[in-house]
Amino acid sequence: MFEQQSIQILSTLAIYSVIVFIFIWIENRRMRNNLISKEHEMQRRMYEVSILKELGDRIGYSLNVQKIVDVITGSLRKLLDYSTVSYLLIGDEGRIIFHCVLEESVSRQFIEDVKTRMITGLSILSSREIKQNELDESISGTITDESNKASPKSFFNIPVVINDMPVGLLNVSSTKDGLYKEEEMSILYTIMNQASTAVSKLENILNQEKGKLNSMVESMADGVFMVDTRNRLLVINPAAKTMLGITKTQPTIFDVLDQLSSKMDLRTKIEESIKQDKLIVEEQLQLSNTVLRVLISQVKDVENEPLGAVILFHDITKEKAVEKMRDDFTSMMVHELRSPLTGIRSIANLLKEEKIKNEQKKYQEFIDLIVSNSGSMLDLVNDLLDVAKLEAGKFQLMRRPTNIADLVKMRVQSFESLAADNHLTLESKVADQIPMVQIDDNKIGQVLNNFLSNAIKFTQKGKIIISAFVMKPHESLIAKVSSLGMMWPGIKDLTFNSDQLVLAVIDSGIGIPEQEISKLFNKFTQLEQSAASEKKGTGLGLVITKGIVDAHGGKVGVFSEAGKGSTFYCTLPVII
Amino acid sequence: MDQKKTKILVVEDEEILLTALTEELKQEGFEVAGAKDGVEGVEKSISEHPDLILLDLVMPRLDGIGALKQMKDNPQTKEIPVVILTNLSDYDKVSDALSLGAMDYLVKANYRLEELVTKIKTVLERRQSGMPTLNVIPPTNG
Repeated sequence: MFEQQSIQILSTLAIYSVIVFIFIWIENRRMRNNLISKEHEMQRRMYEVSILKELGDRIGYSLNVQKIVDVITGSLRKLLDYSTVSYLLIGDEGRIIFHCVLEESVSRQFIEDVKTRMITGLSILSSREIKQNELDESISGTITDESNKASPKSFFNIPVVINDMPVGLLNVSSTKDGLYKEEEMSILYTIMNQASTAVSKLENILNQEKGKLNSMVESMADGVFMVDTRNRLLVINPAAKTMLGITKTQPTIFDVLDQLSSKMDLRTKIEESIKQDKLIVEEQLQLSNTVLRVLISQVKDVENEPLGAVILFHDITKEKAVEKMRDDFTSMMVHELRSPLTGIRSIANLLKEEKIKNEQKKYQEFIDLIVSNSGSMLDLVNDLLDVAKLEAGKFQLMRRPTNIADLVKMRVQSFESLAADNHLTLESKVADQIPMVQIDDNKIGQVLNNFLSNAIKFTQKGKIIISAFVMKPHESLIAKVSSLGMMWPGIKDLTFNSDQLVLAVIDSGIGIPEQEISKLFNKFTQLEQSAASEKKGTGLGLVITKGIVDAHGGKVGVFSEAGKGSTFYCTLPVII
Repeated sequence: MDQKKTKILVVEDEEILLTALTEELKQEGFEVAGAKDGVEGVEKSISEHPDLILLDLVMPRLDGIGALKQMKDNPQTKEIPVVILTNLSDYDKVSDALSLGAMDYLVKANYRLEELVTKIKTVLERRQSGMPTLNVIPPTNG
């Protein structure tokens, strides 16, 4: 009984131990398998990490997708068994690049099959029809072998996507059957994806930076454009297009060269700049309405390789105009002073002779000429000195309380006879109750003298009015003028924020064309005009007037209507 | 040369210079007519039948270049020799005037009467002997 029992126990134990053993064995195997798969997983991860590191190291911050794909295809053999790895990429300027790396010798036909599949795939992916003849093809790796009749048995495509835009395909093909499973494909997919993401991010950052640069270039007042080493126009800003009179939205270098063809040989200059690595400056390029200074400078990349040239157009029309005005002014001034002085000398020489003293009439005429010419020369010298003082900021005001009605009355008295000589009547319209105002009465008197003598000079018939009144804040000038019973030709409404004394001289002359008005207060244009005009005078009176009024903190202005007349006025802040 | 018969037309807007030139040339024995701007100058070049014209360049109404063009366009006046009166700063205009057919030029500032008379006589002699027009291109920097 005992023995039977013992045997039963023993056999039970044996069964248990077998079960345990089996269990342990199974568990062991499971763990081993697990370890192996973990190891595989580790290897994949290691590969992923290593290839991404390699990508990072070799590419840096490259945006060149082809370079990136080259790195991936070059290190793929660590991971996969394959015959060929190929890529098809939509490159710059729409070129399609096909490159096939042969790991094993396959036939041309094999490569053709791979290519056809990829073209079909990319055509669908990018929704554009890709033609065989668009391709830039190249093959690397081992040699082709036409005796190998094997066709692609296993293959897969991975899309290359940058910023959600499909730009190419990566293909792995093998002569062996059933080689690629989900796992291999997904690793490559992950790597491609990560590379794409990195490039996309980089491209976004770059685009932002480019956007900043672009908007800077776009908004520049100077004209700027850049050409590459093959003389292609890479970028041109609106200012450059305007200066060159180019209306096309996407001009080529030929449009630019055409516009300059007769003016300068830009192409040679660009080549010179790139070849000799120097800044070329063309001091003066005269286009139809503008004068430009042109700077041509080589552009290099980080490795100091020439990328092309940047051309800058700086508009110097104004500088040139000012320079010319200054020259004209100098020569006019010389003319205005030298001609009468030469005359005075000649006349004085004639007066030295005995016989002229017997011709009483001629003698008197010569003396008068000397007096009047030296007088007008003195006027000019005085005016020029006044202008020089104004410009040097050394114009001093002697303000004192002034009775405006008296000031106006004095002007009327001194100009009445001159007006009558010219068959003109002179009236004054001065508002009642103008307070005593702090002004430099001598200088403001000079302003009124100038207004009056001009009005008399340029009015053939009718009357001249001299007027003075005070404008309250926000009062309308038109209303004020008509309330005083006046009509100012060409008047425009004005209002002021503080009390202003208005002094005006209104004539019934021919009026002044709009475009001439701004020239009246410019010393350069004035003297030039006065020389070619029949009317005597330096023409600097209004320039000085503006200086005097400016010094008082006031404004000087002109209203004019053709055929009706002009109003010259100044407004002076009321200081009591 | 019989100077009494030689008539000079002086076209000059600066009154004192016109008076001085007129008087000086009269004293040298020329007959002188004066005009105070380009328009009057063109009119008198026809009505006065001058033997020579002294022509200022910067003038109101019609400048010297404009007057010269009209004189050279008119068969009645185109043979009359013209001497330009100029300032040192007008050299661009002087070369324009010379290419339009002016015979010579005189710088007004500091001119000496003897120089003016010599110039007038030379131009008239050259004209009489049928010598070609002397196109002196003035220096560009005065």
